[in-house]
Amino acid sequence: MKKFLNKPEDYVDEMLAGMCLAHPNYYKQPIPRLICRATKPKYEKVAIVTGGGSGHLPLFTGYVGEGLLDAASIGDVFASPSSDLMTNTIKEVDQGKGVLLLYGNYGGDVMNFDMASENVEFEDDTQCMTVLGTDDIVSAPYAERGKRRGVAGIIYAYKTAGAMAETGASLEDVTRVAQKTVDMTRTMGCALTPCTLPRVGEPTFSIPEGKMEMGMGIHGEPGIHKSELKTANEIADEIIDNLLPELELKPGNEVSVLVNSLGATPLEELYILYNRISERMSELGVSIVLPLVGRYVTSMEMTGASISLCKLDEEMKELLLAPAECAFWKV
Amino acid sequence: MKIDNRALIECAQRLAQACRENETALCEADARLGDGDLGLTMSTGWRAIASDSDEWSDDCSKIFFQVSKSLQRSCASSFGTLQATGFMSAAKYCKSNNLTQLSHHDLAPILDCAWKAMADRGKGELGKKSVLDIIYGLSIDLAKADIVDYKVAAKQSVDRVLAEYRDRPNGLGRARMFAEKSIGVDDPGMLAVKVLVNAV
Repeated sequence: MKKFLNKPEDYVDEMLAGMCLAHPNYYKQPIPRLICRATKPKYEKVAIVTGGGSGHLPLFTGYVGEGLLDAASIGDVFASPSSDLMTNTIKEVDQGKGVLLLYGNYGGDVMNFDMASENVEFEDDTQCMTVLGTDDIVSAPYAERGKRRGVAGIIYAYKTAGAMAETGASLEDVTRVAQKTVDMTRTMGCALTPCTLPRVGEPTFSIPEGKMEMGMGIHGEPGIHKSELKTANEIADEIIDNLLPELELKPGNEVSVLVNSLGATPLEELYILYNRISERMSELGVSIVLPLVGRYVTSMEMTGASISLCKLDEEMKELLLAPAECAFWKV
Repeated sequence: MKIDNRALIECAQRLAQACRENETALCEADARLGDGDLGLTMSTGWRAIASDSDEWSDDCSKIFFQVSKSLQRSCASSFGTLQATGFMSAAKYCKSNNLTQLSHHDLAPILDCAWKAMADRGKGELGKKSVLDIIYGLSIDLAKADIVDYKVAAKQSVDRVLAEYRDRPNGLGRARMFAEKSIGVDDPGMLAVKVLVNAV
């Protein structure tokens, strides 16, 4: 294991401390593992809370900011935060207009956020609603899409729901927009090399030299097949071919495209992928709005990429293009 | 017959002691079918509950909520969250029925709420050889029990359910991945409940 760290057990806390020191205009940490906006919103609004394990920066903490999220609960690397921390996070940002819990569909996170939601309802009558990121098409068939995991595409829901909340909209409307965005977003990834958890010290899985795993999840969950490493265009085509059927894109439709590095893959290679995706969208007569290319949701130092398509309607497009700002994304 | 809240504090101390004494045994039982940390989860969680009991209020609804919060704060594992869910459902039952002090007649309906809430949270169901079955069994058996025999009835209930499921495979949680190996072996979560019931 070659990593810049002091003690493995301090990895998350030192990372969060550094992030808040580096970006004091965006983030503060009122209690350990709770990251919220450096300055509270100037007016009452629905709060949006997310959370999950560390190891995915800029997800989750990074997307706390104006026009995006209000706060995040952070667990150990690839491990759920406790329901107690989630409860404190909800209480920190609730302004009395309700709280949307918007996070990825992982068992531990769901169990703990549901528990936290019950806590604040019991103690303070705080109303929480939940939307789960379920954009990873490989993790379950369409008929069982409620079981799908959330991966990079969740940032689209952060953006649209965040923009909606800034308008002073009700909890019901913010939730509706978040759910619609999740429903209109599909993601598939491809891994080339694994990552190593600091407290484990060994790679979480192995992919032989010259091979790739198509459809692998962001914690190394099995994909749909292993094969020889293909060309960038072949990989882009395979992923796009898998994403398209459920979105039913027609000429004249608009999509946003996210080409995301899982950590180690450089921007150069992401742009090679984007070049092909752009060609494919042109062939379909589909316009791309706000293309995103970079590290948006990572898995430590994993080499690989994911491609997300978010099909837009007028409401979603307007919300996607509304101003937003955090240390890692500015619109 | 009412249950004095002072008695609940003393009960929490006994349960914490029992979990500490059975920590190794529960870890060993869990290691056969899971990750082997159940004894630690139980002793850590109930130590926190007993420690926090000094600050319990006189309202049983708030006491159950505080038990749930103690578990959430001290146990990050899924079994900790499941227990916390059960106690939260008890708190809600008391709140919605305007109960500030428990009576023995409340135990069966509270346990009935608890297993349902835990099943919902853990996406589980009855009949899969899990902690749900033993709590469901208690809710049924205590509903039929005479007040003077409550503790005896509870002990008989957990032994009955353990025996009923011993030779079946586990169908929930991590233990379901060792389904064949689990035949003839008691479910660790059920054993944890037995430790609690025997100490009540």
